[in-house]
Amino acid sequence: MHEETATETSALVDATDQSSEEHRLVEEDVSRGLHYWIHPRVWLPPLVAFGLLALGWQLYAVHNRFIIPTVPQILTQLVDHPGLFWRNLLVTLQEAVVGASIGMLAAFVLAMGMCQVRLVERALMPLAVMINVTPIIAIAPVLVLAFGFGMTPKYIVTAVIVFFPFLINSLTGLRSSDPQAHDVFTTLHASKWEILLRLRLPSSLPFLFAAARICVPLSVVGAVVAEYVAPGKASGLGSLIETAMSLSDLKTVYASVLVLALLGIGLSAVVVVLQRRLLGWHQTAPRRP
Amino acid sequence: MGLDVLGVSKTFDTRKGRVAALRDVSLRVGRGRFVSLIGPTGCGKSTLLRIVAGLVEADGGTVSIFGEPPERATAAKHVGFVPQSPALLPWRTVLDNVRVPFQVNRKADSVLGRRFRDPVEVLESFGLGDVLHSRPDQLSGGMQQKVAIARAFVFDPSILLMDEPFSALDELTRERQRHELLDIWQSDQKTVLFVTHSVPEAVALSDAVVVMSAQPGRVRAVIPVNLPRPRGELVEATDVFHDLERRVRSELRVAWNDNHA
Ligand SMILES: Nc1ncnc2c1ncn2[C@@H]1O[C@H](COP(=O)(O)OP(=O)(O)OP(=O)(O)O)[C@@H](O)[C@H]1O
Ligand SMILES: [Mg+2]
Repeated sequence: MHEETATETSALVDATDQSSEEHRLVEEDVSRGLHYWIHPRVWLPPLVAFGLLALGWQLYAVHNRFIIPTVPQILTQLVDHPGLFWRNLLVTLQEAVVGASIGMLAAFVLAMGMCQVRLVERALMPLAVMINVTPIIAIAPVLVLAFGFGMTPKYIVTAVIVFFPFLINSLTGLRSSDPQAHDVFTTLHASKWEILLRLRLPSSLPFLFAAARICVPLSVVGAVVAEYVAPGKASGLGSLIETAMSLSDLKTVYASVLVLALLGIGLSAVVVVLQRRLLGWHQTAPRRP
Repeated sequence: MGLDVLGVSKTFDTRKGRVAALRDVSLRVGRGRFVSLIGPTGCGKSTLLRIVAGLVEADGGTVSIFGEPPERATAAKHVGFVPQSPALLPWRTVLDNVRVPFQVNRKADSVLGRRFRDPVEVLESFGLGDVLHSRPDQLSGGMQQKVAIARAFVFDPSILLMDEPFSALDELTRERQRHELLDIWQSDQKTVLFVTHSVPEAVALSDAVVVMSAQPGRVRAVIPVNLPRPRGELVEATDVFHDLERRVRSELRVAWNDNHA
């Protein structure tokens, strides 16, 4: 049954791929290297989308000069102060990456515990839900009180934001393994840990990557929120936005937003590349265009 | 010695009430014998196989695998299980899939006198020498099923349990697989309990066909198959074969009528 639906879906995927022959050719090009990126099919669609967005923005901006800056103004701001944006970008990047790593690792370890021992799930799941529904904005100032103005409260806020989605996905993934494969392991008298390591963990990878694609960009949001509510040394793109806002410096605000967007896209791309590398065996692995 | 099932019963509690999956089922598979289980759907074939494999606990009765209860037999890696779907690990190559039995429950391997097989040799003897390093999803369904059988063969268990291993294959592939399995079995004469829905498959492979009826699941008849071995594909064209097929079919019909009377 399972297998049948799987083949059906992959047949569907193949059908929508226009021609899988052509698809394979492109795939081969990829392994040859840079070649791939030169292909207009790869960079043209997003470029057109961004171009249209910029055009729309510009049209609106020229008629509303006091509300939003024009595209050239934003770009000029970036070019004029590269150091400022770069410095703050690095701070936010560090907060996002460290915070997300801590949050995702903690969530995964907890999910493994929950998967192995039902009691752990029963005991800790309500707590995890509680953490998830706590308005992080409300407790961030308390975190600053407890941990000072350094990076720690920001790591915590970011980690908390990614924690729950990653926990639920990890748990689902660890439980998604093929029950008949589970039977095979059981008749070999494999231990619970052997089953976890050799069956459940690899089976969970597609779910972990799906979660990472949500959580990693989310961690950027987390970092910015943390900078807002727990300003600390007043660095990072979130703090920059807040300061610029109070000075009505809209050019800096929107330039920061643009840098944030680029940061999010960059981090997502890293996840996609890792997913493609590690998950070639799975049909959810992203395909080349 | 071999597999002895004595008075095994099993009732499942479901939301719709109690299902008597098996009532007082007894059968035996002598050492080196190939026995098939056949019967209408829901008659408890899989349940019986899972009880023997130690995956489900019986409510009553005893199961003895070469003198050991299922729990002890699996702990010693004496049981090879081939599920209905190949259940291969998609992230591993064919060869690494067949190595799984060596990578878990290592304690059982230190027992003296075990003759493990070389996974490469087993796969080659199964005609899978060319795909050792392929991923399962690059293989046809029939080849995947052979890998699953190889995975159960490779650690030389004393009994092989197979639950409709060929049910997902098309008729011709199925026939070919049947005879390949016969060849493999011939060279090795393992003790096998084999669940199937196909009458010719049961007759061609087995030393005895156990016909079950449903609700509650019980043994309706045991039909010995005295066809000479080794059996080639031609055996299926003989009159004796057809007679046996007819006998199994008529028992099946009675079993089926039992449910729908
Ligand atoms: N885990 C379970 N929980 C509840 N009922 C079950 C369970 N497993 C099996 N049953 C019930 O027990 C009966 C026997 O099921 P089983 O799967 O053993 O039949 P089967 O002979 O293998 O059927 P098929 O030929 O369709 O594979 C069925 O009525 C089924 O609904
Ligand atoms: Mg069944």
